[in-house]
Amino acid sequence: MTAQFRAVLYTQWKWSRIIVVLGTVGAFAIPLLSLQGAARADRGALQAQDLLRSVQSWGTLYPLLAATLGLLVAIAAWAADHRGRHIHALTLPLPRWRYVLLRFGAGFALLAAPIAAVLIGALLATVTATLPPGLQAYPLALALRFALAVFVAYAVFFAVSAGTARTAGIILAVIAALILVQVVASMANLDLNLLETLQAALVFGPGPLVVFTGRWMLVDV
Amino acid sequence: MFHGIDPRSPIPLYVQIAERVRLAIATGALDPAAPLPSVRQLAAELRINPATVVQAYRDLEAQGFVEIRHGAGTFVRELAPGRRARERSQQAVALVRKLLAEARRSGVTLAELQRALETELGVKAT
Amino acid sequence: MNQAILIEGLHYRVGKTFAISELDLHVPVGSIYGFLGPNGSGKTTTIRLILGLLRPLGGRITVLGDPMPEHYARVLGRVGYVPEQPHLDGTLTVGELIAFQSAFYPRWDRARAAELLTKFELDAEQLFGRLSKGQKAKVMILLALAQCGELLVLDEPTDGLDPVVRRDILGALLTYVSERGATIFISSHLVHELERVCDWVAVMDNGRLITESPMEKLKHGTKRLVVSGAPRDVTNPPFRMLAREAGNGAGESWVVGDWEPDMASYIEGLGASVRDVIDLDLEDGFVELLRSFRRVPQ
Repeated sequence: MTAQFRAVLYTQWKWSRIIVVLGTVGAFAIPLLSLQGAARADRGALQAQDLLRSVQSWGTLYPLLAATLGLLVAIAAWAADHRGRHIHALTLPLPRWRYVLLRFGAGFALLAAPIAAVLIGALLATVTATLPPGLQAYPLALALRFALAVFVAYAVFFAVSAGTARTAGIILAVIAALILVQVVASMANLDLNLLETLQAALVFGPGPLVVFTGRWMLVDV
Repeated sequence: MFHGIDPRSPIPLYVQIAERVRLAIATGALDPAAPLPSVRQLAAELRINPATVVQAYRDLEAQGFVEIRHGAGTFVRELAPGRRARERSQQAVALVRKLLAEARRSGVTLAELQRALETELGVKAT
Repeated sequence: MNQAILIEGLHYRVGKTFAISELDLHVPVGSIYGFLGPNGSGKTTTIRLILGLLRPLGGRITVLGDPMPEHYARVLGRVGYVPEQPHLDGTLTVGELIAFQSAFYPRWDRARAAELLTKFELDAEQLFGRLSKGQKAKVMILLALAQCGELLVLDEPTDGLDPVVRRDILGALLTYVSERGATIFISSHLVHELERVCDWVAVMDNGRLITESPMEKLKHGTKRLVVSGAPRDVTNPPFRMLAREAGNGAGESWVVGDWEPDMASYIEGLGASVRDVIDLDLEDGFVELLRSFRRVPQ
């Protein structure tokens, strides 16, 4: 089993190494950039406001990065198999569920790098910054939240990507139909807000996608 | 020795192979104790089923021309001297039979055939 | 287990028009079994069913003693497969593909893989996607052979390849068979290639099996007869009447299958006489078989 995992990991690394490397660099940079202003110790109470604003606005990048990494690594995991119509995978001598698990595990193993980068970057930023009084840093909580977001994004996109091209096509078609209905409705001045309701249901309702909402604060009160 | 083996001929492949070996033995092209190509080699070279080669070699062994030594290969046997001459004359008869059959099929008469033979050999029959 | 592949009453449907029905195949262990048929006759579909890529609608498939597709994971470890179209990832190198494959087969033969890499003149550093058609075929054959399976299933492995590559591939396959006694199931529409190599042959057309017989019997049993004085109706002959055409005065031209020399007496018994018996090579016999099969309303 380990030889098989190594083999799958190698190929997935080859397919997604650019994404993973860039993502890791970005993941490392964001916490550092978000605490840029905190190095200067000669400001007054106003600095806390500026700092919080900076942290919050940079913070919007975390869920974006998590979603992007999850999406791209998931796509890379299945792209080659889709191209070959899965014939190679289906003729390998192992149960299909085990093969899927190997691919899933390999992708997630690769995503450990950007997650670690967030943790290290956050810790480094926290250590090198002088925080104004009353503010606390939460590097660990941030990294954990990032890890969860990456996992959720990857899992969702992996499941979609693993389906047949037809399933993916159906999903895209449904989304396109929703958008079309929305456009038509707004042109006819109908009070219909499909996408927002959907978004509200998916993202704000209790569920794994909640992790993407709200503020991502490295430093907070 | 084996080039020209014809899978499309009505003569089975293993018979064709065995014939070539017998001819080579009869004419001395293959010496006693000489090794025949291995089954694997010959099958791959001629691009035929290894089972065909095995069958040919087995037939040759049954007829007493070769000896199959497991692990070592197949080797030509020492033939009794009369045997070789007999084999050659058998080959000659087979050739003549073929010629006569062809002649019959193309409508060449026996007399025409004989004349052609004499011309080719440069000998006039009395 | 004396059959490497056993198919009984196979039934499968693709869309509304094409169906495989009542297919029975018996592939003896250690044989080189040719699967002939024109394009679109169902050869690739049958192979996919054998490998568990498709699930039959009816009938039974047993590969190496195990039912398919139920035991696919176990069976596929003993089967080497070469599909019609290259199925490997073009962004990996030849060496990487070999490394990947070797992780999944405990009986992987590293020496054979290395030997074939040299023999096939392949460069391990080259990307699979950049290889020529013949080189891609060689890589797929290399992987299938290094897996050391007891059964090789090849779907038109030499189709569209130049003669040199075909020779190399056939040579490697035959060497493997001689050394390991494996069974080869090879589908093709290149009759001449199969003729020299197969000891069994099955002919398929439009989803149905026309005939399954030892190669020698099909090759030498198919003859063109010149018959004069035969009655109009010939019912239940001991041979297979494939075609019957009026001749040019010398007699009628019959194309028959499963012919044996002593069957001439049967024809004489009808009051006719056999003027000539002409050998047909496998390609001609194959064509006549198909023609006669298609004439009969299904």
